[in-house]
Amino acid sequence: MRNLSLLLLLLLGCSHLSSVLSWKKDEFRNCNQTPFCKRARNRKPGTCALVAHDVTLLDGELTAKLLPKENYESPDQVHDQDQSKPLILSLSVYQDGIVRLKIDEDPKLDPPKKRFEVPDVILPDFAQKKLWLQKLSKEDDSSVIYLSDGYEAVLRHEPLEVYVREKGGKRRVISLNSHGLFDFEQLKVKKEGEEWEERFRGHTDTRPYGPQSISFDVSFYDADFVYGIPEHASSLALKPTRGPGVEESEPYRLFNLDVFEYIHDSPFGLYGSIPFMISHGKSHGTSGFFWLNSAEMQIDVLGSGWDAESGISLPSSQSRIDTFWMSEAGIVDTFFFVGPGPKDVVSQYTSVTGRPAMPQLFATAYHQCRWNYRDEEDVENVDSKFDEHDIPYDVLWLDIEHTDGKRYFTWDRVLFPHPEEMQRKLAAKGRHMVTIVDPHIKRDDSYFLHKETSQKGYYVKDASGNDFDGWCWPGSSSYPDMLNPEIRSWWGEKFTFENYVGSTPSFLRGLDPQSKRCKAFTLSSFHLFLVVFLYVCLCVDTSSRLIYVVPHLVEVSMPRDALHLGGVEHREVHNAYGYYFHMATSNGLVKRGDGKDRPFVLSRAFFAGSQRYGAVWTGDNTADWDQLRVSVPMILTLGLTGMSFSGADVGGFFGNPEPELLVRWYQIGAYYPFFRAHAHHDTKRREPWLFGERNTELIRDAIHMRYMLLPYFYTLFREANTSGVPVARPLWMEFPSDEVTFRNDEAFMVGNSLLVQGIYTERVKHTSVYLPGKESWYDLKTGAVYKGGMTHKLEVSEESVPAFQKAGTIIPRKDRFRRSSTQMVNDPYTLVIALNSSQKAEGELYVDDGKSFSFEQGAYIHRRFVFSDGKLTSLNVASNAPGRAQFSSECLIERIILLGHSAGPKTALIEPENKNVEIETGPLLLKSKRGSGFITIRKPNVPVAGDWTIKIL
Amino acid sequence: MKLRIVVFWVVLCVLSAASIVRSASSPPKYIGIAPEDEKYYKSSESIKCKDGSKKFSKTQLNDNFCDCPDGTDEPGTSACPNGRFYCRNAGHVPLVLYSSRVNDGICDCCDGSDEYDDKVKCPNTCWEAGKVARDKLTRKIATFQEGVAIRKQEVERAKEAIAKDEMELSKLQNEEKTLRVLVQQLKEHKEQIDKAEEKERLQKEKEEKEKKEAEEKSKIAEEAKQENVEGVEKANDEAETISKDDDNIGLIEDSPLDQDAVNDHDDLDAEVEHDDASTNGRSSVHGVEQHTTQEIEESSATSETGTDVGSKVSTDKVTDTTPVNQSDAARVRKEYDESSAKLSKIQSRISSLTQKQKHDFGVDKEFYSFYGQCFESKESKYVYKVCPYKQASQVDGHSTTRLGQWDKFEDSYRVMIFSNGDKCWNGPDRSLKVKLRCGLKNEITDVDEPSRCEYVALLSTPVLCVEEKLKELQHKLDLMNKEQPQNHDEL
Repeated sequence: MRNLSLLLLLLLGCSHLSSVLSWKKDEFRNCNQTPFCKRARNRKPGTCALVAHDVTLLDGELTAKLLPKENYESPDQVHDQDQSKPLILSLSVYQDGIVRLKIDEDPKLDPPKKRFEVPDVILPDFAQKKLWLQKLSKEDDSSVIYLSDGYEAVLRHEPLEVYVREKGGKRRVISLNSHGLFDFEQLKVKKEGEEWEERFRGHTDTRPYGPQSISFDVSFYDADFVYGIPEHASSLALKPTRGPGVEESEPYRLFNLDVFEYIHDSPFGLYGSIPFMISHGKSHGTSGFFWLNSAEMQIDVLGSGWDAESGISLPSSQSRIDTFWMSEAGIVDTFFFVGPGPKDVVSQYTSVTGRPAMPQLFATAYHQCRWNYRDEEDVENVDSKFDEHDIPYDVLWLDIEHTDGKRYFTWDRVLFPHPEEMQRKLAAKGRHMVTIVDPHIKRDDSYFLHKETSQKGYYVKDASGNDFDGWCWPGSSSYPDMLNPEIRSWWGEKFTFENYVGSTPSFLRGLDPQSKRCKAFTLSSFHLFLVVFLYVCLCVDTSSRLIYVVPHLVEVSMPRDALHLGGVEHREVHNAYGYYFHMATSNGLVKRGDGKDRPFVLSRAFFAGSQRYGAVWTGDNTADWDQLRVSVPMILTLGLTGMSFSGADVGGFFGNPEPELLVRWYQIGAYYPFFRAHAHHDTKRREPWLFGERNTELIRDAIHMRYMLLPYFYTLFREANTSGVPVARPLWMEFPSDEVTFRNDEAFMVGNSLLVQGIYTERVKHTSVYLPGKESWYDLKTGAVYKGGMTHKLEVSEESVPAFQKAGTIIPRKDRFRRSSTQMVNDPYTLVIALNSSQKAEGELYVDDGKSFSFEQGAYIHRRFVFSDGKLTSLNVASNAPGRAQFSSECLIERIILLGHSAGPKTALIEPENKNVEIETGPLLLKSKRGSGFITIRKPNVPVAGDWTIKIL
Repeated sequence: MKLRIVVFWVVLCVLSAASIVRSASSPPKYIGIAPEDEKYYKSSESIKCKDGSKKFSKTQLNDNFCDCPDGTDEPGTSACPNGRFYCRNAGHVPLVLYSSRVNDGICDCCDGSDEYDDKVKCPNTCWEAGKVARDKLTRKIATFQEGVAIRKQEVERAKEAIAKDEMELSKLQNEEKTLRVLVQQLKEHKEQIDKAEEKERLQKEKEEKEKKEAEEKSKIAEEAKQENVEGVEKANDEAETISKDDDNIGLIEDSPLDQDAVNDHDDLDAEVEHDDASTNGRSSVHGVEQHTTQEIEESSATSETGTDVGSKVSTDKVTDTTPVNQSDAARVRKEYDESSAKLSKIQSRISSLTQKQKHDFGVDKEFYSFYGQCFESKESKYVYKVCPYKQASQVDGHSTTRLGQWDKFEDSYRVMIFSNGDKCWNGPDRSLKVKLRCGLKNEITDVDEPSRCEYVALLSTPVLCVEEKLKELQHKLDLMNKEQPQNHDEL
């Protein structure tokens, strides 16, 4: 009964902590307790005295030196002497309307240390998109450079200001330092008597390089709202954090933390950080601003009227949102994106930081997780129960307890004596297993990984140069320095079959079972599918008084003065540490699969660019209705900032959801891009069949809905992969000029065709749903028609959450429910054509092998279906470039449903076969008794990959 | 030459047959239909969906397109989400699958009939699998047969035990009735004596006081006053002690119940011993009986005189001077103490017997012997102790965690529920579900904790070896034997 004792052990270990186990505001640093934030916030508009000198074109960029204005009496005497060194400014321009502004200390002037520039986030090929500036036009006290056909970038020399404007016109898009709040604390030599140390709740930060923060104001023009800068459990449209009438006066914080039982509606920073903000307004459209900086950041959204007393006047014809950005360290490396559409901005941003990775098909299906499925028997039981209840799922997850004492890459041999056999059984049903790997490595000399890491000197060092030793799940732990590419590559090797698992059963059979190498198990490579998910559990320094506290409890991070590669301080790289881990792990999995299989790595920590390496989830949420509600804006915000593949734990990680809440969560979770149920080990079991027959049926229906829509989802994942446009989108992304949608974060679009809205309240009978646009909408389950451009009061059914297909779209489905997506590969398609007012509709379908990278060589099917004039046409969208790899599919279309078509036709003609097929009336959903009588083309059986037309006769 | 042509034709035929099978995307017409349903499908050209929603033609049967919401028209394909596929599995038991399993590349039926689209080859394993299943079933039946016999004995024994307990109870109840009357009488008597004595004492005190007062008249008036106050206080104190005593008596009367609840365990063990060594138990009960009868005789005798005494006392009261007979008083007190002790003993036994009878012992009272028994199982360092009708616990060395108090049976006496155990940190109160299985011994075979602090144990017991179930199993085995394919030799 080892498992029992294990649980009890945990219980004992944790029981003394119960009193502190809840989110407490004062456990975390607020702005006032954070010196750089407090200093920056106290600055008055107009205090920046920098002037641009020596403005020239160099290497196709604009460069300038920034110096304080002569004779300017700085009110801040401390910085006076140091600030007199010039800063170097460079302004460069890239294809598609991107401006990059960099400001740093002059390396030629021998600063005490090179300031940190975040490496390996910007795509290597981004540099090739640089436009070589030919001409610099002077205009009054400004230099103007070309940006794109419609836009130009301007550097005003005095006072310093950088902005983007429409060409020739006065209309501005984005500007920086218009309020003169720019401040750059230059590194200096410590003077006698200066106190650089900082303390917070028993931690001391030695701050050997002193103050080095940067802050500035950014204004968005013609903006009604700003969005982005995850991760916060808060609304989609960001709320003012300062200014008239603002009560809560904390800035939005970006500082990756493992926050225990986070609360909803708070500007407090969570697990990941993306310093990318999007503005949107009715009159101009959308623009974006990205600051590539991985130190702690605080961002104020300034309520209108905040600058009333500053005496600064900006063009008043344009509405404007001002923001204030503060960072503890690093440099200014910022990007302006001109838009003008919402999709343009995300596309521009992801052209810098990378497009979302194309997931394997299985990863877009349903995942079943729990901390923890305790042993092999448990795994087998859960697996078979899914079959017993005819509920599909694709992935079973094992959390930290599957390991030998939280030594990742190992197995608890008592609980999991036959991991290979266990996975083989899952694989036989086309299912996969995901195991967890955390970045904290147990400091145990008999643990091969620790031994190797410490011998190689690969751990992050503390301020005095020893391996940083932090307390996490396994006890005393250290952290590989993933900033170092060499270490990343070494880490990636750990996932090879040889290191984590044997490549074939015979391969390792001869090994001494006592040897440590045998902790890696043997496995037939054919059946293996192991994927890794990643927590970044940044833990407490053992020297602090918080030594025995589990890491979730306090402002728990590696100390800011810990040292990475090249003397980089942890404060500089903190927010990107998880990103490098994600990268190393993802690359490792590619290597493991011989470069053939797409990796799947889920991470809780993230940074700009994480979308290239896998999925993220919103961390340890709680089973309550507010958290169900906030999951939607959280996921939408992630999507806007590149992280398209994201989801929240269905059911809520902490606590026990009432069956109604669980069902509602499944119903909306089925539309999350990443759809996974997860639960804390203190919670009651909550697999779908544990709440009575009716609830089992409701959950099954929700999961079935996801499986039915998998072809549509997969097509959207491909769209994200090519354009950056996320799978789950705010309504305003599809309806950018409909103001009603700008603050709506209870409903969202899945692609351009589906609108869904969760039910976030217990036992409601009615709900209001706003359906945007001029076209009608069809209820996804009943086919009932609703007018667009208005709010509908709808009766709420327990069977589903409101979901609608937009008129004018075509959605590809697969209506056969299998055990997992693997068995659906050969199943026929259903097309649902929702006709608009002019009896037209369009949609796309993308298909590939669902696994490999060969789609990158063109091995895929991409069709566009167009319905007009009573005729459905299938067109090829894929390029026909010679030498393109091929992918073929024998799948047929078995059914075509027409919504909004008048009754009457009896036959359709298929060309080029010149074959007649029957038209009948049928249901929209096979299982449902409601929603029948729709024009259905019966068994057209046209190949999904082929060119054809079907004419309604 | 001729032979060659024949071979050629045979090959051609086979090939074309194969190609027909392969090219026809529609399956054999009646595949996936249970034998008892075949008539339903074959009877007419137009077939009704079983839910009555629509009709479909015979050509639509298994044409790989879903027409009926309930899947009636596609028993042999995966086209309908609500469809069911029947595989005959000759040599084993027939199986009904979700039709989503048809042609999904996974062999579900041991006869391989669910995979007919040639994407995967499913060997027929029914004979081997069937043999294993039949052997297993045969063994299970053997256990059941033996178990049923044991169960019968168990039920008989339960009947006897119940009768015995009932007899004892009614006897005790009678005894209790008479004894209660007696105790009441003795109590009254005793109280009269107490009263008389008290009066006497007060009288004496008064006299003494008066005497003292007379003697100390010379002393200061204040002092005298003070003493007076003291005297009153003392009297009050005494009154209180008396009333307290009354309370105590009340408590003693209640205590059997309380004790029963607290010391259930000991009680139980004791009872089990009684059952095992019934003579011992009997004699002790008899002892009480005899004793009480004697007492009753005695007391009735005394009570006769008692009334006399009573009247005497009352006359004494009137005269107010006669001193109470000391030896009489002591005897009455002793008798009262003894009989009320006996009464509470009897009441305690009655209460524990009635408590027992309130429990649910199953349809045939087959669980009667579980009362007072505990079943133990050692799993690594823990000992799990399950005491039906009482409680269940997990013992780890010296520390005991209560997994739950007896709650009830569930699932027609196939599950025992223990609930409201010790609280789990950050979790629910502990609870235990004991699933009962037919077995030859009462034995805990497995304890698990599938969800945090929600335990599940397996208890095998002859009590669950029910005859109907045995018949069911035998019937199942008969069916399996009947379904053996004639051509199993091929395998």
